[in-house]
Amino acid sequence: MIRSRASLGLIVVCSVALLSCSSSHADRIVVGSKNFTESFILGELIAQQIEAHTNVKVERRFYLAGTYICQQAMLAGRIDIYPEYTGTALTAILKQGIARDKREVYERVKNEYERRFGLTLGPALGFNDTFAMEIRGEDARHLNVRTLSQAAALAPRWRAGFGYEFMERPDGYRGLVAAYGLRFAEQPRIMDLGLLARALKDRQIDFAGGNATDGLIPALDLVALEDDRHYFPPYEAVPVIRQQTLQLHPEIEGVLADLGGKISDEEMQKMNYAVDAQHRDSQDVVREFLKSKSLVP
Amino acid sequence: MIEFRDVSYGVNGIQVLSGLNLRVAHGEILVLLGRSGSGKTTTLKLVNRLVSPSSGQILVNGVPNDQVDVIRLRRGIGYVIQEAGLFPHFTVERNIGLVPKIEGWPEERIRARVQEMLQLVGLTPDLASRYPHQLSGGQRQRVGVARGLAADPAILLMDEPFGALDPLTRDELQREFLQLQQRVHKTVAFVTHDLREALRLGSRIALMEAGKLVTVLTPHEFLKSSDPWASAYVRAFGDGLESAANRGTS
Amino acid sequence: MNLLRFFVQHHTEVLESSGEHLWLVGWSTLFAALIGVPLGILIAHRSRLDRPVLATANIIQTIPSLALFGFLLPVPWLGDRADRLAILALTLYALLPIIRNTYAGIRGVDAAVVEAGRGMGLTQSQLLLQVELPLALSVILSGVRIAMVISVGLATIAAAIGAGGLGEFIFRGLAMVDNRVILAGAIPAAVLALLADFGMGWIEKRLRPR
Repeated sequence: MIRSRASLGLIVVCSVALLSCSSSHADRIVVGSKNFTESFILGELIAQQIEAHTNVKVERRFYLAGTYICQQAMLAGRIDIYPEYTGTALTAILKQGIARDKREVYERVKNEYERRFGLTLGPALGFNDTFAMEIRGEDARHLNVRTLSQAAALAPRWRAGFGYEFMERPDGYRGLVAAYGLRFAEQPRIMDLGLLARALKDRQIDFAGGNATDGLIPALDLVALEDDRHYFPPYEAVPVIRQQTLQLHPEIEGVLADLGGKISDEEMQKMNYAVDAQHRDSQDVVREFLKSKSLVP
Repeated sequence: MIEFRDVSYGVNGIQVLSGLNLRVAHGEILVLLGRSGSGKTTTLKLVNRLVSPSSGQILVNGVPNDQVDVIRLRRGIGYVIQEAGLFPHFTVERNIGLVPKIEGWPEERIRARVQEMLQLVGLTPDLASRYPHQLSGGQRQRVGVARGLAADPAILLMDEPFGALDPLTRDELQREFLQLQQRVHKTVAFVTHDLREALRLGSRIALMEAGKLVTVLTPHEFLKSSDPWASAYVRAFGDGLESAANRGTS
Repeated sequence: MNLLRFFVQHHTEVLESSGEHLWLVGWSTLFAALIGVPLGILIAHRSRLDRPVLATANIIQTIPSLALFGFLLPVPWLGDRADRLAILALTLYALLPIIRNTYAGIRGVDAAVVEAGRGMGLTQSQLLLQVELPLALSVILSGVRIAMVISVGLATIAAAIGAGGLGEFIFRGLAMVDNRVILAGAIPAAVLALLADFGMGWIEKRLRPR
């Protein structure tokens, strides 16, 4: 019986060891990102900023599969900071109705995150990656169309194309049409997001629903129409960070503050284009950008 | 000591025992003899309430056995079965000492008792630390008897305890059991289908057939009996039964 | 070799993820054992309950794991923390092997031995603790072993819903189309499964009655 008692003792010790495994890493900061280009560019940006201005070691955990995954990773302490969009945080995580005012959305998200999750937001990075309704540059110039209200008058002559999700979302196609009184020549075509810009350029469609920071906008000479009635909710890019991490590394706050408002829509478009279309390394692209803004030596 | 009053037992529509009236006197070895299916094992199990009767009562020491705490009842009765039912994960010592242990005897007393029992059943002390699978069939059966006697119960129930042994070992154990009984004087209910064994060991033989008690006779009476079943048995077992009835050769 | 260098460079992350993985597997196996072993003992003693209980556990096993994770997401307290949800789901999956093996183990104890014990005056709990469980232990542990190995595999899928663990490497590697990252998750997971199998197997052997 002594032998089995020793074996049982071993089991208990191993079980205790097993059950006390959990992630904690006071000496490093883990930067996460979602799995699309813009997200990991921003992640890389945050990572390089921290590396350049502090002594803290940075670990990158990019390509996490989505908003929920990132949120869970934050709550569990597996990542310390990641780039999110205010509108997404409001609707997908806080499950609240969308508001139109940028400031209001930012404040609400920040307060709720601090209250409920022990997370907080850094300052907005500058651009608004909201939906962008695009037309060809030449059309914009010839027809003197800059805003969606102006476009409404011309819509009956145009064919439109949108992504599947935009068609389905309540704050997508249906709301847009209602807000601006749009009516197109025919039922909009549903296409893969990646193909919309090309289709627009090639005149298969005349009006496309893309994202404001799409790299192909400047590249293909497309114009994003102004949302003058403020229909689309704000999706400002913000770094979400664990309050615990800030306490452990208060210098991060200054680092993130430096990034506040530094990226315009156009600059984000250019970075996206460089990585997606020109296949440049995201680390190089980010480094260049930071240098150009004198954020790093 | 043990009394069956109008005991019947049926299960799943089969009448295993009917109208059993039987007494086991203090200090005697009552042998329950019968074929398979005669109900003899069930009769035994009714004593320590491993089985409950459908009707009738079993009295142990004058008290109906359903009116006492069943655990206390069983701990006061030694139960020895075929192939001994020894716990394979306990040493011989732990097997024998089990009831004393759960009765809360002090360690020392248990150890002494185990040694005493080993001696009583003719086993050497060094076997105490062995495991059942390391023993021969005969040794295991002896341990089974030792285990049954360890807490010094007044009653012993034995269900074909020597059935699985070779004839030589069986003969040896029967002889030793008789000697043992001279010393300990337990009240024993002993089940067997072997007439020779019954004649040798029993103070009286209760012959059972198809759940009914046919007759209760002493060994000598049994040999001379004109009861059809009894004589059928005698015929089936052939010669040399008188010597068995005379308590066999020593 | 490229892969080896990758492992060395990222060894802290791999270890961290392995830790997260073990956390998920450890707790869920423990809970499954705490629920499954008593339940297995119950149905071994009460034969009327065995079919419904085993059938229920069987049904749970047939639900595809990703689907189960998916249904549980909207549940209020569970969906808030993916690791909580994952532990619950993994516990459910671990139940069948544990219940079934406990049932078989207890049923498999020699009936004559149990009857001898009962006849000698052992109480139900003494019979259980001193006779049935020790004799069934090896089979029961075999069930726990199977449950652990299954859990190690299922826990990789839990990363799909944000529970972390080695599966996260696999999913990230798939998104990045980088085999090294995939293997950084897949290889340790396989190693963990093998370790669990051998480790528990060794323990089983030690505790097997002769």
